[in-house]
Amino acid sequence: MVSPTISTQNLTRRFGDLAAVEDVNLRVAPGQFFGFLGPNGAGKSTTLKMLTGLLAPTTGRIQILGLDLVSNMVEVKRQIGVVPEGMALFGRLTGSEYLNFVGRMYGLDHETAAKRTAELLDFMQLTDQPRALVTDYSHGMQKKLALAAAVIHGPKVLFLDEPFEGVDAIAAGTLKAMLQRMIARGATVFLTSHVLEIVERLCTHVGIIHRGRLVAQGSLEELRAGVEAQSAGLPSAGAGVPGEKLTLEQIFLLIVGGSRTDRQELSWLG
Amino acid sequence: MTGRVSLTPQARQQLGAVADLRWRMFVNSLRTFRGRLELASRIFIGLAFVGGGIGGAIGLGGAAWFVLLQGNAEWLGGLLWPVFLFWQLFPLMATAFTQNVESANLLRFPLSYRLYFLIRLAYGSLDPATAVGSLWLIGIDIGIGVARPSVLPWATIVLLTFAVVNLVLARMLFAWLERWLAQRRTREIMGILFFLFILSFQLIGPLIAVYEHRSIPETRMLGQKLSNAQRPLPPGLAAAAIAGSVQPQPGSSVVTTSVIPFLLLLFYGIAFVWLLNFRLRAEYRGENLSESAGRKALTSRLPAVRPGWNLPGLPGPVAAVFEKELRYLSRSGPMLFTLIVPLFMLAVFRSSGKNQGLFAHAPGLTFPLGAAYSLLLLTNLSYNNFGADGSGTQFFFASPARFRQIMLGKNLAHAAVFAVEVLLVWLGTCLLYRPPSLGVTLATLAGILFVLPIDLAAGNLFSIYSPSRVEAGVFGRQRASLTTVLASFGIRGALFGMGALMLWFSRGYGNSWMELLIFLLPAAFAVALYVFAMERVDGMALNHRENLISNLGRRE
Repeated sequence: MVSPTISTQNLTRRFGDLAAVEDVNLRVAPGQFFGFLGPNGAGKSTTLKMLTGLLAPTTGRIQILGLDLVSNMVEVKRQIGVVPEGMALFGRLTGSEYLNFVGRMYGLDHETAAKRTAELLDFMQLTDQPRALVTDYSHGMQKKLALAAAVIHGPKVLFLDEPFEGVDAIAAGTLKAMLQRMIARGATVFLTSHVLEIVERLCTHVGIIHRGRLVAQGSLEELRAGVEAQSAGLPSAGAGVPGEKLTLEQIFLLIVGGSRTDRQELSWLG
Repeated sequence: MTGRVSLTPQARQQLGAVADLRWRMFVNSLRTFRGRLELASRIFIGLAFVGGGIGGAIGLGGAAWFVLLQGNAEWLGGLLWPVFLFWQLFPLMATAFTQNVESANLLRFPLSYRLYFLIRLAYGSLDPATAVGSLWLIGIDIGIGVARPSVLPWATIVLLTFAVVNLVLARMLFAWLERWLAQRRTREIMGILFFLFILSFQLIGPLIAVYEHRSIPETRMLGQKLSNAQRPLPPGLAAAAIAGSVQPQPGSSVVTTSVIPFLLLLFYGIAFVWLLNFRLRAEYRGENLSESAGRKALTSRLPAVRPGWNLPGLPGPVAAVFEKELRYLSRSGPMLFTLIVPLFMLAVFRSSGKNQGLFAHAPGLTFPLGAAYSLLLLTNLSYNNFGADGSGTQFFFASPARFRQIMLGKNLAHAAVFAVEVLLVWLGTCLLYRPPSLGVTLATLAGILFVLPIDLAAGNLFSIYSPSRVEAGVFGRQRASLTTVLASFGIRGALFGMGALMLWFSRGYGNSWMELLIFLLPAAFAVALYVFAMERVDGMALNHRENLISNLGRRE
C-alpha cells in the first residue's frame, strides 16, 4: 500500500469554545488532485493553514510526505508550495523581484532563481509590465503571481486556498494549465474551492468538510456511489434526473444538506 | 450643486438610513471591551475639546472685546487666523478624530448626486475642529457684540459666512487629499510634502531667534508686511469686513470697506464649493483610479530577469530578506526622506543662535547626539519589523527559512541604513560644526556597538509580540501600537542614559583608547544578548504566528 502524501489523525482546532475543525482524518495519495470542499465557515481554510504550518492544531497529528509536520517543519516546508488566503505577496516588489526573492528563500541559487523567474513570468503572461509593483497588479495577475511563487522551487505538494476566486476565464485557464503540469510531473495538489464545476473537472479526489467535520472523502465515483446508495428509495433525495450521473454540485448539496433552499420562497419575488 | 435644497421622500429615507447605519455601527462597537474603552477615551478627549472650545471662546471673546474697545478692529484678523488654522490643520494632522466616508460604500446605492454631496458635507460637520472652531467664533461674536452692540448683526453674518467657508474648505481639502492618496505615486508625493510641512515647524525657533535680535522698527515692518499679505485671505477678509463697519475709513464708504471684503469672502466660499463639487462629481460618476497594469501585446521571448543581489558570506534567505528590505525602503518616499532629517536638524540647530547654535557650549556632543537621533528615526522600522509586509508575513511562515534568518536579514538592512545615517551625521558635523575628535568618534562608534544590538533585539521582540500593519506612503491613518511606542522610548532612554554615563566615566581617563575599551566591554555583552535573543526568535515567532498573521493581514 502506497503511503499517503498528506495524512492527518484526529486533527482538531478550537478557537475558544468553537471547534473550527474537529477530528479530521484526511488521506491524500501521491499524484492526486484533491479538492477540499465545504460551505462557508466549514473549516476549509483553517485545515489548509494547519497543513501548511501557518496555524498550530489544538490536537491531532499531521504528516506530509511521511514526515511529521511539527517535528520536521522546515524540511516539510522545503517540499511544499502554498498559496494561502490573502496570497501573502509583497506589494512593493516587482513581479520578477518577488519571484527571485521567493526562489532564494527556498534555497535556489541566483542563476536558477532568475531563470525560473523568467520562465514563470512568461508562462503566466506577466511580462507586460516588468516595472510595475505587485500592489499595482490586477487581482487575476496577483493570483497568477502567487501560484508562480508557490511552484518556483518545484514542490512535491501544492496547497492552494481558493486559487480561482476572483479570476477571469483567461487567467483561470493559465492556472489550470499550470496545475495539470504539476500533476503530470507527479506532484500532489490540494486545493480548496467554492467553484464546484472547476473542482469536478480538475480533481480526481474530493473531501467535504461540514461544520468542522470531514463528512466525505474519496474519488468522485466513490462519493457518487455512496450518495446514491444512501438516497436510494428516499422520495426527497431526487436531486438528479433518474438515469443520469449526479454532478458534484448535487453530491455536495446532498451531503451538506443544502437542497432545502429549493423549498424556500421569497414573497416579493413571486 | 444646483437646484432646491429640499429632498425627495426617497432621499430623506436614504439620509435616515445612513444616519441609522452610523448609529448602529456605534452601538455595535460597544459590544467589545476595546469598543467601550474607545468610547471612554473619546468621552475623555471630547471633554478636553469642550474645555478647549469654551476656554478658547472666552479668551478670544475677551480679546475681541478688548481690541474693539481699544479702537483696533483691524487686529481681529489676529484672532480669526488661529481659528482658521486650527479648523483646517487639525483634521489633517489628527485624522483619527475625523469621520471620513468611503465613497465606494455609498455609491453602490441609488443616491442622487445632491444627496451624496450633502452626506459628504455632513460627515465633516460634526468633527471636533468644526465644533471647537464654531465655539471660538461664537466667543468672538459675543465679544464684538458686548463691545459694539450695533455691529453684532453684521459681525454675526460675516462670522457665519466665515464658518461656512471654513467648513467647505476643510471638506474640499479632504476630498482632494483622498483623491491624491488613492494612488501610490501621488500618495508618496503627498507624504513627502506633509513631512516637509511638519519639518517646517522646526524653523519657527530659528526664525524667532533671528528676529529677537532685530530692532523694533524692523520687526514692526515685518508685521506690516505679514498684515498686508494676509488681507486677501479668508480670515483677513472676514476681519476687514467687520472692521470696516466698526471703523469706517475716512473718505471711504461702508461698501468699499466692509461689503467688498465680505463679497470676496463669499467668493472664496463659492470657489471652494465649486472645487468640492468638481471632485465629488468625479467620484459620483465613478472615476477610475485603478493602478492595475494594462494588458499589452504578449512578448514571445523570455523576459530579461536580473538575478538577486549577490552578498558573499550571507546565506541565501538572509541575503534575500536584506535585499527585499532595502528595495522596500527605496520605494517609500517618506521613509527615504527621514534619512536627511538628522542633517536637517543639525542645520536647524546650527542656525538657531550665534556661533554654533545649541551646540555652542558642547560641540563634542554634536556627533553622538546626531547618531542617537538617527537611531530614534528608525523606530518605525526596527520596532515593527513586519509592519510594511502586511499579509506577506504569511510567506515567512510558509517558507522553509528559519525565522532567525528572516530577522537577521531585516536587522542587517536596518543596521546598514543606520550606518549610512551615522556617516551622514558625521559628515554633517564636519561641515556644519567642526570634525569630531578621534576620541568622540571612537566612543560614539563603540557606543553604537553597545546600543544597536540591544535595540535591535528589543525591536525584534516587539515586532513579534505587538505587530501593527503599516500602509506605506499613507499618513495620518496609521495605528501604531501604543505599547511599542512607550517601550521603545523607555528602552532608548535607558540605553542612551547608560551610554552617556559611560561616556562621562571614560572621559575621566582622557585617553581615546581607554574610552574605546570602556565601551567595547558592554558592547560585547550587548552582542551576546542579541545572539541569545535570536536563538529564541524561532520559537517565539512560531508561538505568535496567528497573532502576527491576523494583525498584519488585516486592513483597518
